[in-house]
Amino acid sequence: MDTSALRITDRRQFLRSAGGATVGMASWLALGQAPAFAQKRELTFLSWNHFVPASDEELRKQAEAFAKQAGVSVRVDTIAHLQLDAKFAAEAQSQSGHDMIRTHNVVPFLYEHLLADVSDVVAKLGKQYGGWYPFAAEAHETKNGWRGVPWFWISFPATYNETHFKKAGFKETPKTWDDLLKMGRTLKGQGNPVGIPVSHCSDANTTFWSIQWCYGGKVLEADGRTPGINSDKTAQVIELYKALYKDAMEPEVLSWDDASNNRFILSGKGSWIHNPISPYNAALAKKMPVADDINHHNSPGGPAGIHSAPPILGLGIWKFSKNVEVAKEFIQFLFRKENYDAWIVASNAFNHPPLKHLADHPIWARNAKLAMLPAEAQYAHPRGWPAKPNPSVQLIDSNYILPDMVAKAINGMPTKRAMAWAQDQIALAVQGKLKAAG
Amino acid sequence: MAVGPHVLEAAGLPRPGRLTRVREWWEQEHVFGYSLILPALLLIVCLVAYPFGMAIYFSLSDTWVGSPGEFIGLQNFRDILGNEIFQQTVYNSFVFTSIAVVLKTVLGLWLAMLLFRTLRLKRVIRGAVLLPWVIPTALSTLAWWWMFDSLYSVVNWTAIGLGIIDAPGPNWLGQKYHAMAAVIAVNVWRGLPFFAVIVLAGLVSIPREFYEAAEVDGAGAWGRFRNVTLPLLKPVLAVVILFSTIFTFADFNIVYVLTRGGPVNTTHLFATLAYQVGLTGGNLGQGAAISLFLFPILAAVVFIQLRYIRRE
Repeated sequence: MDTSALRITDRRQFLRSAGGATVGMASWLALGQAPAFAQKRELTFLSWNHFVPASDEELRKQAEAFAKQAGVSVRVDTIAHLQLDAKFAAEAQSQSGHDMIRTHNVVPFLYEHLLADVSDVVAKLGKQYGGWYPFAAEAHETKNGWRGVPWFWISFPATYNETHFKKAGFKETPKTWDDLLKMGRTLKGQGNPVGIPVSHCSDANTTFWSIQWCYGGKVLEADGRTPGINSDKTAQVIELYKALYKDAMEPEVLSWDDASNNRFILSGKGSWIHNPISPYNAALAKKMPVADDINHHNSPGGPAGIHSAPPILGLGIWKFSKNVEVAKEFIQFLFRKENYDAWIVASNAFNHPPLKHLADHPIWARNAKLAMLPAEAQYAHPRGWPAKPNPSVQLIDSNYILPDMVAKAINGMPTKRAMAWAQDQIALAVQGKLKAAG
Repeated sequence: MAVGPHVLEAAGLPRPGRLTRVREWWEQEHVFGYSLILPALLLIVCLVAYPFGMAIYFSLSDTWVGSPGEFIGLQNFRDILGNEIFQQTVYNSFVFTSIAVVLKTVLGLWLAMLLFRTLRLKRVIRGAVLLPWVIPTALSTLAWWWMFDSLYSVVNWTAIGLGIIDAPGPNWLGQKYHAMAAVIAVNVWRGLPFFAVIVLAGLVSIPREFYEAAEVDGAGAWGRFRNVTLPLLKPVLAVVILFSTIFTFADFNIVYVLTRGGPVNTTHLFATLAYQVGLTGGNLGQGAAISLFLFPILAAVVFIQLRYIRRE
């Protein structure tokens, strides 16, 4: 059978389809717009995989309820927290992607020019619920207005194993980092070390900022431009870390990620970690016997008082979004008292409201192991403090300059040299940003 | 081949219609040929050339995510070269790539020769060998990450059980040499099948007569390997080493999942540092400059290898 005619037809058909597809794709790229069949009124929200998964389930439930009420569809996409920054960068550069994002730390400042002003929503909610906590406001209010609505913050207390503490003869928990060192020596001696990550992970940054402030140290001066880490105060902090590492912790802290300290306390080996209540919630959810042993106490203090650097999370709306108004409505919907309360309950007290009246929820008071958590609000500052949050803080955190400085000293580098190294790295981070800011 | 209108006129046939003429023009070899490669060209321009051009543009500017930058010449490159973390990354990349590629070459050759033997279940074994290369890297590296975990390391557990090391064993991802050894081990584990399968293809193509002739000349196993196998495999090996060097230099997943560049940046590679500075940290200009450092290095590798292959 002669198939040449058939082959020609096939080739022509192929070329026609391929040509059509090429032209279609080119016009799609040129117009920067999806084909008409894909266009639907849909609000999209990029969030994280919550450490307490039930919280995301409740969020999706509320999103569905809002969708029905507002006559739109709402899509909540969740990804691993460490991938959010790269995804934000991609969406910002391409000026396309989700309508709303879950911001953290200095993200509202990093994307100040690309996030919509939400001052109106912030004012309304603030008035309705007794005002915002100052640290939440500082983390979202740029000089050009609010670039995010503070959504929740995650208290960063101490999580400890009560049984190990009792066995060591301790009736009280450490009030200061120095107390922790003293108790940690005994605890390690009985086979239950304490643990603070000194590695490339978010928790390592969080704890360093806290201890640094407790000792009166700074990372940046108040002007936000001058590196301020090279000081006697930092030297004291490094010496504390070195002593903790040698006498109270095990070398594994140098390789920890954000989940390692959870596993450490849940394994029953660890006696103390600086961490949100997620291990306790996980132990409860999985009905692990260690849940009975786990308790919490407020973050320790130092010569300059108690300070902490809890993750502060917000809701931002990209300026390029075509659904800015719907997104604002959605945010207000999430902040309805009944919705916000349900969301706190779903997270089992993990999500802390940044609004004073919403923080009255009884969930904390009725569980003795969680009762002290709301008090953490009075110790909280955004990263960078006493400087205002600024994008160089993002680079300092993501380059893990602070835990690396400590790790260098732990590995034998003289403290002064380690501080000088960090000072140089911070100067580079600041220099890069300030040039861009003009 | 298409027939032109003048030929038709000369033959006394009617002049073809407009559609036919367009079709004839279209079916000319140079028009048709180029139209066939146009979609591929478009994809390369959009997905390779455009990002590469953008990377060069970013590297010469002080662009941060979310704010447009200005042209600053080679400032980013100067800043990076003076930065200790980058210097450490260059050192890491060379150590990582050279050790991993040497190990993959030696072990890959060895594995290929084992697979070349007539074994029972040959096909199953050859298929199974490919598994590390087929499984998505992020997933398999997660398994390795678990094996190197500081608390539950199955590597340490086994070694302690066998009496090779004393408890608690090394902290694989927390000490610089161990961490580098760990990322190299995973890279070798993953890249080995690629080597083995391509070298195996090279082995299969060597005519049996050469071995027979060598045997007649009294060559032993080592003699046959040195004088027959190795010289005939050289072109295949050169290509596979070239590819592997490029893949290994540009590795990202293994380091990102296992160590995120730690401890204290001792396992950072160009790709992971560029990601950290450019995308996570927000300094796109410097991030692009870091990733572009790979380009001249890889270009040099490709140039040297290709020259060598041509000479062979």
